[in-house]
Parts: sequence; C-alpha cells; structure tokens
Amino acid sequence: MQDQLSALLAKAAPELAALITRPEFEAAKARYVGPNGELTALMKQMGAVPKDQRPAMGKLINETKTRLQSLLDAALAAIETAELQAQLGPAVDATLPSPDAGPGTYHPLTLVREEMCRILRKVGFTVADGPEVETEYYCFDALNTPADHPARDEKDTFYFPAASRFANVSKKTSEEKYLLRTHTSSVQIRTMLNGAPPIRIVSPGRVYRRDTSDATHSANFHQLECLYVDKNVTVRDLKALLDYIFASLLGQDTKTRFRPHYFGYTEPSFEVDLSAKHLPKVKKEWIEIGGCGMVDPTVFEGVGYDPEVWSGYAFGMGLERLAMLLYGIDDIRYFYQNDLRFLKQFA
Amino acid sequence: MKISLNWLKDYVALDASVEEISRAITFLGFEVEGVAQTGAPKLDHVVVGEILTRAKHPNADKLSVCTVDVGPAGGVKTIVCGAHNCDAGHRVLVALPGAVLPGNFQIKQSKIRGQASDGMMCSPDEIGLGSDHSGLLILSGQPALGAAMNAVLPPGDTVFDIEITPNRPDCQSHLGIARELAAWFKLPLVYPQEKFRGDVTDAITRTDLLSAVRVDSSEDCPLYTAHLITGIKIGPSPAWMQTRLQAVGLRPINNVVDVGNYVMLETGQPLHAFDARKLGGNQIIVRHAADGEKITTLDDKERTLTSRMLVIADAQKPVVIAGIMGGQNSGVSADTTDLVLECAIFKRQSTRWTSRRLGLSSDSSYRYERGVDPHSALEAAYRAVDLIIETAGGQVVGPVYKVGGDVPWQREVVVTHGFICEKLGFEIPEAEMETAFESLELNVTHKEPTDLRGTAWTVSIPSWRDDLDRPIDLVEEVLRLFGTEKIPAAVVTAPGLVGDDDPVVLFNRRVTDYLVGHDFHECVNYTLRPAQELATWVSATAAQELALANPFVDDQSHLRPTLIMGLLDSLKLNQSRGVAASLLCETGRVFIEHNGQNLECAAVAFIITESGADRPWLKRAPADFYSVKHHVTALATAAGVDLARHSLAPIIGPFFGWQEGHSAAAGEMAHGWTARFGLLNLAMVKQLGVAGQVYAGIFAILPEQLNATSARRRYADFSLFPAALRDLALVVDEPTPATDVQRALVKIARVAVGPAFALESIKVFDVYRGKGLPEGKKSLAFGLVFRAAERTLTDEEVNVVFQKVQDEIVKTSGWQVRK
Repeated sequence: MQDQLSALLAKAAPELAALITRPEFEAAKARYVGPNGELTALMKQMGAVPKDQRPAMGKLINETKTRLQSLLDAALAAIETAELQAQLGPAVDATLPSPDAGPGTYHPLTLVREEMCRILRKVGFTVADGPEVETEYYCFDALNTPADHPARDEKDTFYFPAASRFANVSKKTSEEKYLLRTHTSSVQIRTMLNGAPPIRIVSPGRVYRRDTSDATHSANFHQLECLYVDKNVTVRDLKALLDYIFASLLGQDTKTRFRPHYFGYTEPSFEVDLSAKHLPKVKKEWIEIGGCGMVDPTVFEGVGYDPEVWSGYAFGMGLERLAMLLYGIDDIRYFYQNDLRFLKQFA
Repeated sequence: MKISLNWLKDYVALDASVEEISRAITFLGFEVEGVAQTGAPKLDHVVVGEILTRAKHPNADKLSVCTVDVGPAGGVKTIVCGAHNCDAGHRVLVALPGAVLPGNFQIKQSKIRGQASDGMMCSPDEIGLGSDHSGLLILSGQPALGAAMNAVLPPGDTVFDIEITPNRPDCQSHLGIARELAAWFKLPLVYPQEKFRGDVTDAITRTDLLSAVRVDSSEDCPLYTAHLITGIKIGPSPAWMQTRLQAVGLRPINNVVDVGNYVMLETGQPLHAFDARKLGGNQIIVRHAADGEKITTLDDKERTLTSRMLVIADAQKPVVIAGIMGGQNSGVSADTTDLVLECAIFKRQSTRWTSRRLGLSSDSSYRYERGVDPHSALEAAYRAVDLIIETAGGQVVGPVYKVGGDVPWQREVVVTHGFICEKLGFEIPEAEMETAFESLELNVTHKEPTDLRGTAWTVSIPSWRDDLDRPIDLVEEVLRLFGTEKIPAAVVTAPGLVGDDDPVVLFNRRVTDYLVGHDFHECVNYTLRPAQELATWVSATAAQELALANPFVDDQSHLRPTLIMGLLDSLKLNQSRGVAASLLCETGRVFIEHNGQNLECAAVAFIITESGADRPWLKRAPADFYSVKHHVTALATAAGVDLARHSLAPIIGPFFGWQEGHSAAAGEMAHGWTARFGLLNLAMVKQLGVAGQVYAGIFAILPEQLNATSARRRYADFSLFPAALRDLALVVDEPTPATDVQRALVKIARVAVGPAFALESIKVFDVYRGKGLPEGKKSLAFGLVFRAAERTLTDEEVNVVFQKVQDEIVKTSGWQVRK
C-alpha cells in the first residue's frame, strides 16, 4: 500500500501540472479524491491493514492526501491565473496618447482672480458679488461722483433706456437710470448698505467702459477691489495690505509704492506701483498696478456709517492688467478670443 | 499739460536735476507722462572749429578729408567727413575724441578707409538738435574757435508733460506747479510783481470805446472784468515769449494773443482780448444765446447755439462762446489799436456742457471746466496788462469794469496733530507738519494744545485750494510732503470677521471645477452682443428690453441672454485657426426677460462637439443628448436644484437656437432658474460657419435664489438583506415619455407592495424599437428592485406582487407587457 501511495503521487504530480481548463481539473480531481477516486479507493483498504500498522499507514495516507491537495491547489491556481491572463489583450503601448480630450483648463483670468481671492481670504477678506447692471446711485452718487462728472457722461458709460427695468437690481430712487457698472465699487456700496461694520470684502467682477477696443482696452474687463471698514484703520494698514498682497503673489522681494492721486471716493488717494523686475516683458522699474485710498467720509455718511467712528480703506485693480503682467501677455483681446493654444498655456 | 523747466525757474530757483524734479512731481501726486528736451543737450568735448581745407578722400568717392582748426581746444585736426557741405571757411561743431553724443555714440580717434580721423564734424541730429541729418550744422556769427558747444548754442529747455488730477485745477499753470515744487524742495516761491494794480483814477476815461458791461446770468458768470488799453501796436511778441510758448506746444500769433496765452499758462486764468472798435454799441453783455443764434469761431466754423449756452455779446451779436472760443468778428487783428481785455470766471458745469455739446474745446475751456480761482483772477488781468504794455505799447484807460466777484474768500480748517497721526497710522513730528502747511501756503492762523491730540492748528486755506475743506484733506497734504514712499512697513492685522464667500462666487467656483474636471476649457466672452443674434434666442420684445441706450459699436448693442453664442464664437475661431476644440465652457451673467422686466442671472454653459477634434488613434463613443443631460443635472445640483424632480419640456420654436426634438428645457424664471440643453439647431450652427453638430447646455439662476439655504438632509436607514429583482418590459406608443411610464409603475408598485416590504427602485434599462414590435411602438424595459428591512424576501411573495403590478399597469394604462 505504501508503494501504491507513492505511485499515485508520482503519477498525479505531472498530470495535475499539465491541466489547462477547469473541466479537465474537475475530472482529474474526481479521479483522485472523488468518491470513486484512486486515493479514496486506497483509503477504503485501510480496513485490511493489520491493526499494528494502522497508525503508521493512517499517517502515510494523510500525508499523501495533503500532498495531493496541494498539487490540486497549485493546479487550480495555475488555471485561474491563465484564465485571468486570457482576459487581457496584448500589453499596452504606454507611450500612445490618450484619445480622450483634456485635461480641462481654467481661464487665466479665473486663475489670477482665484489666486488673489485666496491670498485675501487668508487675511480675512470674503468674496462679495453684485449686479453688473447698476444704477446711477450705486455706481456714482454713493461714491461721491458729482452729477456732471465726465465719467458719468454717455460718451464713457453704457446706459439703458429710461423705460428699461431690471426686476432684481434695486434702485435707490425711481428716477435714476440703469447702466453697466464702470467699476466694482458699487458692490462696496451695496455691501455696506446691506450689512454693518466691520466689513472686509474683496469684490472681483466684470465692468464696462464705453471705449475703443485695442491691445490694452476692452469693452468689458474685470476688476478686483478690496474694502475694509473698521475702527482705527490707517494709511499704514493699507500699505501693509498692498505689500502683503504682492509679496504673496510675486515673492518676498517684491516692492510696492504709493503715489498720491485723486479719486472721489477716497481721501487720501494713491496710485500703487509695483517693482517687479523678474516679470516677463516689463521694462520699467515701477509699473502702475492699481488705485487705493482711505474711504472718504462722504461715502460713509452716504451709507449711514458715522465717519467719526468708522474708518476704512479701499483698493482696486484691473485683473486683465495683472494677468498680462504675471504671464507676459501683451494683448488684452487674447483673453476674449479663447484660442485653445492660449488657454492651454496657463493650467 | 506741458510745463517748461526754464519757465518754472522764474518763480522758484530749482537746481535739482531733471530726474529729481520728475520724481518730485510724481510724489506730489501728478503723473509725469513724458519729459522732452528742447534745444541742445549738454555735451562735453564738442567745440567750435573752422574748416581750413577740404580734399577728396583718396579711397572713397563720398567722403572728404578736412583740416579743421579748433583753436585752444587742440589746434588743427584732420577729420574725415561725409557731409556735402564741409566747405572751407565754415565754422562748425566738432566732436573731439572723448565726446559721447546722444545715443551713447562715443567719439574716438579712428581710421576711415585708411585715413586717420581725429573726431567728427556734426549735423544737428548728431548733437540731439532735432532730426536734421541733411548736412553739417553751420554756425553763424563767427563764434570763437574752441568754444564749448553749449556756450554757443541757445540754451535748451526741459518740458514735462504732466497729468493734472481733476481736484487740482490750481496746478493747471506754471505758477501752480512751481508752488508745489517750492514746497517739495523747501525753496521760496517768487510771484510776478505787477506794476499795474488796477488803479486808473488818473487815467483818461474812454466810455466811447466801452460804455457798459452787463452780466445777465451771474449764475454762469460769477465774475466779469474788462480793462481798456488804447494805443497799442500789434506785432510779433518778443523772442523770449515765443520760445516759451513754443516749448509748451503753442504757436505764437501776435503780441496781444501771445500775452493772453502766456498769462493763462503762467497763472491758469484764461483771458480774452477784443478789438474795442468791433464791439457793436460799445457794450459787452454776458448772456445766454438765443436758440439757433450763430457765431463763426476762430477756427473758421459756424456754430449754432442754444439757450443753455453762455456767450459774450455786444449790443447786436455774440462775439465769444463764453470761456471756450472767440468769434472771428471781434478778435484782435493787425490793425487793432484799442483793446478790451476780458478776465472772467465762468461756471464749470456750463462750460463743460457747452463744450461737449459743440464738440469744441480749447486750453481756455479745459481750465474753466476744471475750475479757475475767482479770487486770483484780477492778479492775472494786471499781469496781462503789464505784459501787453511791455510788448505792444499803449496805456490803460478808464473805466475798469468789474461785475460780480463780491463774495470774499475765507476758509479755515482746524486739525490736530493727533488726528493726522491716527489717520496715517504713524507719527510725523508736529514741526514737520507745520512746515508742510506753511510751505503750501496753508497758513496756520492759530494754534493751541489739546488734552489728548497734540496741537490743534487753525489753517487758513488759500482761495486756489478749493479742494481742501476738511481735516482729512489736510492729512493728504501732510502725507504728500512727508513722502508717500516713506510710509513705514507693517504686517497685515486681520481681526477675525466671520463670513463666507458670496453664493454666486461659490456656485461659479463649483461649476467651473466640475466642468474643468470633466475636461472642458473655460472661456471668457463679451457680455454685449449684436441685435440680430438675439432673434435666435429670444422674442423681439425681450431683445428690445436688453438693448443699450448708447451702444459704442453695432455688434455690441445688447446684453447677452445666453452664454452659448459666445462659446460658438470661440469654437468657430478655433476651427478657423485649425485648432482642435471640442469641450468649451463659461460662467457669467446672462440677462433674461421675464414678464416685461429683465432679470440678471448667474449662468453656466458648455458646448460639446466632435468636429475639429484631433483624429484620435482610438475612437470613443461620441457625445449625445444624454451626455449633456448628465452635465446639466450636475450643474443644477451645484445650485441646489435637483433636476430629476422637475418636469422636462421639449424646446419648440419660434426661436431656432435649439434643435426641435433633440433638446429639452426645465425650470422657469418664475421659480428663479432655467435649464436648457440638447443639440443646437443644425441650420443655425451651419449658418454661423461652425462645422459639425454641437451639443450644449445652460443653467441660469437668480443670484438671490442661490442665497436660499436648504434644510439639512436626514439620514435614512437601509436594509442589509438581499434584494429581489424583476424585469418588466412594456410596449408603449412611440411619443410616450419614459418618465410617464416609470411614474405610473412606481405608483402601482408601491400600492402592490403595501406595508409588507419595499419597492427600492425602478430604473429603465432598455429601449427597443423594430422587429417584433408594431410600427409606432417602442418597448421600455424596467428593472424593479424589491427589498425588506428585516428579512430575506421569498420568491413567492415577490411573484405575487410582481403579478399584481403587471395586471394593474395593463389594466390602467392600456400598455402591453412584452413577453
């Protein structure tokens, strides 16, 4: 019997290793360990084994059984591996390009806007929004722009006919005309009227000027403005903000400077220059980047804030201009053509 | 505005370099737009020489070899010259070795075609005198040999082109800028000293020349003065005056006109001179024009006036459009001997309105529009009288007319040291502030200490600084003179303010992230669109509502009602440039007409096309209606709108933006949002010149709708027991929407299941038309999933329910179960 067991193993090993399909495997398994299998038949002979040999023989049978099972397991594993392998085609050529479009890209104006918003979010500014169709009050009157100011002229600002109505853009007075906002400062007024100080907002958005389109002018463009209203806000705080913004955007060696200027809604007012020698296509040492100042007391009075108590600053800049500086783009019209060779450069 | 440095030096002894002065102007708050040099620049080693001999260059046809005597600067030199006029006997400018000419051109000893040359004889452009390169500059008047160029040529000037901010009309003059620079450099300012001070008590009276001055509208003309000067002789103005006028871009006319311009550029006060004999009735009347009244202005154009326009008239006719331009009928001419000199103040708004209306502006109207100081007007008149007598002779005669101008100027502002430091956020010493005030002629008339805020100054504001009337205005003056470059650095302090970004911002960010994440390229297009395009998308009434009153160009006349046209423009541009583009998206405002009113909406849109795409080596299934439905559903979700809970309607004409039968709409503006998606109208797309089929989707929502916060969802328990699945196919009429069938099935199945267990879901998994089905029918196959909360369902109980569902649906709808 010992010899029979050895012979069985010797026969089974190559046979099982050669199995390819699952039915072959099942048949072979039945042949060896099924109810009528060869090992089963040998085990049935145990009764004829003399009693004193039984423990040794039993051990031998068990060993043979374990051995056979491991051969079966190995055979099954090999078959399963072969089956999985059969599901695959030939190996891929990893160097072929994906036929799918993409990846998608954000517009450079979005990238610059979001970067600015992130920088400002870190120092507590939340992003505010307001209508692009505005009224004379929110765009001009509330910002201390007198009725005969040239900026309000029909030559420079887009107006709507007196009969036009915009149901979800509120008017201050019924006589005032609707217009396309010339700056995002109108958002500051709406925010101040709808809320209460302290206020710290950044308002990016689309603005409109009645102007010839060329390499540096566009019928609509984008601005980004900051407004901070609190107690004891100072010129020095404003300068600190500008230093922070541009150091964050362009690196610690970036410098800003203020030049006194005039805006109706701030006093004192400044233009902001940037020293950015490492930017592409910038020849001058200082380049103008925006305007800012301390909120004029008249503006505070207009929105019902006591200028004796509240103070604040405002800063505004053109997003296209910033993007042009950052990326070295020399024609504003590229932003509005959406040539994919342009759009794909900024992702 | 152009400002001459030589001229400035009349009032302030500037010795700073041009760069330092530019910088000063800049930090005083005026932009220097340009700095131009007139006359010759300062150049070393360029001296006077006389050409002694001229011979042909042995090796070059066009060159000459000259000997040139530069006297004490080095004796006789041999110089090769290419100019045609290097003839013996001429005195010329010689650039000797070591000279550096404009353009960093360095003169060295050299050999030209084998001939040594000890320098260069110069043409005007080579020494920075204009652009003349036609020949050598030949010096007249036998200047001394060896004399330095700058000692021989008339001195040059530096002209700054300065942008004056609208709050500083006082700086629209050389005196104004000089005053600022004097303050900056801490130098005294010297005003012109007029000899004539308005006194005509001993003078002859000539009412025969001017018998009356009447101002009918003191509102628009708060001050009018007229001085009579007789016996003048018209001629050219003196050279010094002409040089200055030319330096700042004015053409000299004659002595009287030039004096008027000169004094205006000096003081900022416009002046006008009449020929006294041309004033009909010997009268001046300042009045509004009659509607339709005409005048031919000095620029030879006939102007038709309206009753809102102010004119200076004689007894019969208008002679000047007030503050803007004189008429041809009354001006000074070569034979003028007696003058009326007008010096007046006209209201800014009136001048601006008239100037705009007539499309006519002048140096005078520019100044009146921005504001002229009425309290300095007479000084300017006296100055002009002096200069007219100096350059044209004559004498002042009486009477002097002065109408208006009776309100005296007085303004004081009280400001404390503490207030200024609080606003600045840093300290400037009191003494420095006081110096700043005084140097700007903001005289401190009183000062006293306060308990907490240092000295309180009472500052007298000069009449020309109408822009200063509050303490905060003085903060700016102090800071300007302190220097905005010196504002000390600080870190941003950010006391916590609780707030989140605006819902529209969050929405735009979310949908852009989604679309870019799905391989779209974000585009940005203009808001204003052409009129004819709107007809594709909205009714004629709606288009009218969206029209601008004053478009700038025809193709940007209306607000966009959709983002899709812009995206098609972008697609077309890429196609026409041979750039593969298939997935484009945009967020932005659109304007939707609703019940006769416009609504400004936040919107997101995208287009998908196969056309123009690269030829991929591996083909993918093309996009279809259900691709765009998928995206629009996701975009709506970003706005808190569950599209599945809203009914979809096909988009049917009359506008042909969408392809009928292949597009759908959900929502409406009455509920604050709208979604449209599907295939764009094939004919429209073709007509636009865009190749291929274009699928698109747009979702628009009122910004205020995004503010609405939805209630927090509650968790619902789910079963851990296995599901029982049954498939059911129903044969229905072709036009029957799948949702209708599904809704009917859900309703029936819920009833059939009862409380015993649950219908978990019903989903369509197949749509079949064709063989085995009658014409005009389709089969919709649904998978029904049943499940119980606490146990495993038995086949029997599910079968009972499933049979009920089949029986009931056939009974109630008439649809057939497909076996």
